[in-house]
This record gives sequence, structure tokens and C-alpha cells, in this order.
Amino acid sequence: MSALVRAELLKIRTIRSWWAYLIAIVLLVGVAVAGDTGSNANARGQVEFQIGLVESAGFAGLLALILGITAVTTEFRHGTVTPTFLAEPGRDRVLVSKAAAGVLTGLLFGALALLVVAAVALPWLSIVGDEIHLGDPDLGTRAAQTLAVSVLWALMGVAIGSVVHSQVAALVGTLVWVFLGETLLWGLFSLLDVDGAVSYLPFRALDGADGTGGEDVLGYWPAVAVSLGWIALLGAAGVWRTRRRDIT
Amino acid sequence: MIEVDGLSKRFGKTQAVAGLSFRVEAGTITGFLGPNGAGKSTTLRSVLGLVHPDAGSATVLGVPYHELDRPLHRVGAVLEASEVHPGRSGRNHLRVQAAAAGIDGARVDEVLKLVELTAAGKRRVKGYSLGMRQRLGLATALLGDPEVLVLDEPANGLDPAGIRWLRDFLRTLAGEGRTILVSSHVLAEVAQTADHVVIIHRGRLVQQAAIADVLAGAQGGTVVRSPELERLQGVLAAAGANTLSGGDGLVVSLPPERVGELAAANGIVLHELRVEQATLEEVFLELTGGETTQ
Repeated sequence: MSALVRAELLKIRTIRSWWAYLIAIVLLVGVAVAGDTGSNANARGQVEFQIGLVESAGFAGLLALILGITAVTTEFRHGTVTPTFLAEPGRDRVLVSKAAAGVLTGLLFGALALLVVAAVALPWLSIVGDEIHLGDPDLGTRAAQTLAVSVLWALMGVAIGSVVHSQVAALVGTLVWVFLGETLLWGLFSLLDVDGAVSYLPFRALDGADGTGGEDVLGYWPAVAVSLGWIALLGAAGVWRTRRRDIT
Repeated sequence: MIEVDGLSKRFGKTQAVAGLSFRVEAGTITGFLGPNGAGKSTTLRSVLGLVHPDAGSATVLGVPYHELDRPLHRVGAVLEASEVHPGRSGRNHLRVQAAAAGIDGARVDEVLKLVELTAAGKRRVKGYSLGMRQRLGLATALLGDPEVLVLDEPANGLDPAGIRWLRDFLRTLAGEGRTILVSSHVLAEVAQTADHVVIIHRGRLVQQAAIADVLAGAQGGTVVRSPELERLQGVLAAAGANTLSGGDGLVVSLPPERVGELAAANGIVLHELRVEQATLEEVFLELTGGETTQ
């Protein structure tokens, strides 16, 4: 099994888009943190503001999602699924290896994003002489939650890719679902007077699983549980679909 | 070694393979022949566990592919030259396969050298010619030093020099005692490398035999040249003969006496009429009902 995971990690690292992911994380998180810090001169010494800066590392989740989806769909797009299944005919094992590689990559993306937050915010706050609340327990919790949710996003990506093997359909479908599908359902649920149901939609749940709460009615742990439920459901559908698929 | 038994597979409305059975014996090079669309790729992919048959079974080394322990060490396959990520280097493609199969990284450079791709190994596959991709496919198949090789149209898209290289390479591999099943629609290729043939047509077995027996048992073709070739071809076809155009003449599946009589009866001038020793091409033509193979 570890050989398969190593092979999956090697697949991820040996195409150029790997660097694009890392650069995107550095740029997105770096710009967000710099923008926040620069435009909030009065608040930036407060714990709440600094926790908000940590939340900027959440961009890692989006990239982990895309990486998870493409880790599966690239194989079908370029036909590399043939050599992959020749090396390991146990298709479930291949999918589990992809999920494991997704977990590791999600952790790495989250860690890199947190590192970028620290690299931009710490020197800046020191120079302007604001108090830094590195030892604050809430800040530490939020950092850990950000790291954990990156893993969930990556797993969600692998699960989606294993159900929808077409790369374009999986990526576009996911975007449409996130920005349109869940919003429309939110409207529908309001009409039906079951507003609360919206928090159980997969990406609302994932949104709540970063610890920020917000308008989400689910707490942190329920949101994590619901996210894992969706991942398990999609993953099971993906296993079923991938087992049956003829590789032609 | 490879055993296909009653294999059937339908894709939508197309019956790709219909009750196909054949065996490939250990230590032979077997040519797997059929016109395009005869079901060759579907059969090979069923043998390799990539396609799930509707009925029947396909085993390799006595078991279904998915039951093989360390399959890349037992069976190597080249299915399509394009099944590589274009953005990955050839060497990294091999490293990925080696990692998945638990094969030592040093073997990667060995197989690259074997197929003469060492210099290009670090380049991305995007920039490879079709011939280089075919060779990368062969290198992938050889990673685990397998005793069985399954090759689907390995000569496709190769230039004459590449085909010659492939032929010599396959002979070397067979000389090492490997069992090779190689599909092709280019008959000359197979005739020069294989010792057995399995011929299929529309998903069914047409013939399985040693090439020597196939040729010995086959009627020779009749070669005929005429200034009224098209009319002659029509007359011959009406008489139930299979014909194949070759240069300025025809190869006909009738004895020369009959061809001469038909020509005379229709007042067609002949410039040449002779018997030719059967070639694999003519046998194939006869067996598959005259459908052209290219």
C-alpha cells in the first residue's frame, strides 16, 4: 500500500501544475494577509483580527479540492489509468492510495498557507510594534482547524473525481454546484421553511468545518461530521463507479 | 499461458467480441490479427482485467489478471502509445510505474537504455514522436521483466526504420523465452515475427494455427492483370470471388482456369494470369471475407 501512495505522490509532484498550486497558495494567502494587515491599522493588534489572518490560510482548501479532483480525473483524461490499473488491478486500493496522497498533500498545502500567513504577518506586526498573540489558544485552535479542513477539502476532491471521471465535468460541475446549486437549494429550503437543512449541504458543511462558524448553524464538530459523511457517501459511489468502469 | 474462453463483450449497440475462445502457448510469439474493429483491443483489455466481459473469461498464467501477485513482474502490456501524461517526462512516467509496482529505481534507467530513450528520458512526453512513445510503452511493459508480453498494435505510426527496430526487438524478447501476444492489422509485420496466428473477425475466432500450417493449408491466390481491371473485378465478384487490388493487378481467390474462363466469357483482355504462392495477406483476405485491412 505504501508503494502505491508513494507512486501517487510522485504523480502529483512530477507535473508542472504542482508548482502552480504552491505558487497560487503563496500568492493568494500572501496578498490576502497583506491586504488585511495594511488596511486595518487600528485593529491589527487584537486577537480576533489575528485569528482572522489565520483564516486567510483557508485558500489552501480550495486548491486541495482542485488537486483532489484532478488527481483522479487526470488519469482518465490522459489514459494513464490503464498503466495505473495494470500495476495495481485492485481499483479500490488505487482510490484509497489517492485519498491517502490527498490527505498528505492537503496537510502540506495547509501548512504552507499557515507559513505564508506567519511570514507576512509576523515581521509586519513586529515592525509596526503591535502585540502578537501567537500564544493565544484560540489562534492555535484556528490554525489546527485550518490545517484539518484542508485535508477534508482534498478528500472531497478525490471523492468527487472518483464519481465523475471526466475532468472538465468534475471541475465545472463542482464550481456550479458550490456557487449555484447550493444557493438555489438554500432558496428552495427557505420556501419550504426548512432553512436549517442548508447547513447539511456538502460545501456548507465544509465551510463550517474550518471553525469559523459564521451564519452556519452547525457547530465545528457537527460540521466536520457532516463533511465526513458526504465524503464517505461520494467515496462509496466513486468506488462503485470505478470498479464497474471499463477502461477502453 | 493466455486463455480466452467464450468471451463476449457489448458496448452499447456494438457487439465487440462474441463468444471468442483461443489459447496462447508458452514461449510463442502469437500474432493477433483482425481488421480494424474486429475486437482485438477489447479482447486484450479483457485479458488484462481492464474491461469486464459480459460473458466468458480470460486468464493469463492460469488466473484472472487481478489475481496475479505483483502483476507487472508477470505480464507487461503496451496498449496505446498515448497513455502517458504529456506533461511528465518519460523517465518520471517510468518512475511512477516502478514505484507503484515496488520495482527498484535503477531498473528505470535500464529499460530506458534498452529502448534507446536514455537521451530523451528527461524530456516531457509532449515533445516525443509517436515512435518514441511506442518505445516508452515498451520500456514500461519491460519494467518488471515479465514472462508474458501483450502488445496492441505496437507498429502503429512507426516509420520503416522504427518497424524494423521493433521487429528485431520483439525477436530478441522472444529469444529470451518470453511469451508474446501481439495484435496487428499490418499482416506483413506479423508474418515476419510471429510463429502462431489467431485471426478474428467481427468478434469471432476465424482461425488459430501455426503460421506455417495456415500458409500450407491455404489455396494459392491467382494474380491477374488486365486493361479492364474494374470490369474484371465486377465479373469476378459476381462469381463469388474475393479480390484484392495490388498494383496494376488483382489477387483473386479462384483458380486461374476459372478466372480465364470468366474473362473469356465476358470478352475481357488479360495481360497476365498466374498462380501465386499464398501469402498471409491472401489467407487473411479469404478468411475475413475480403474486407480491406488498412
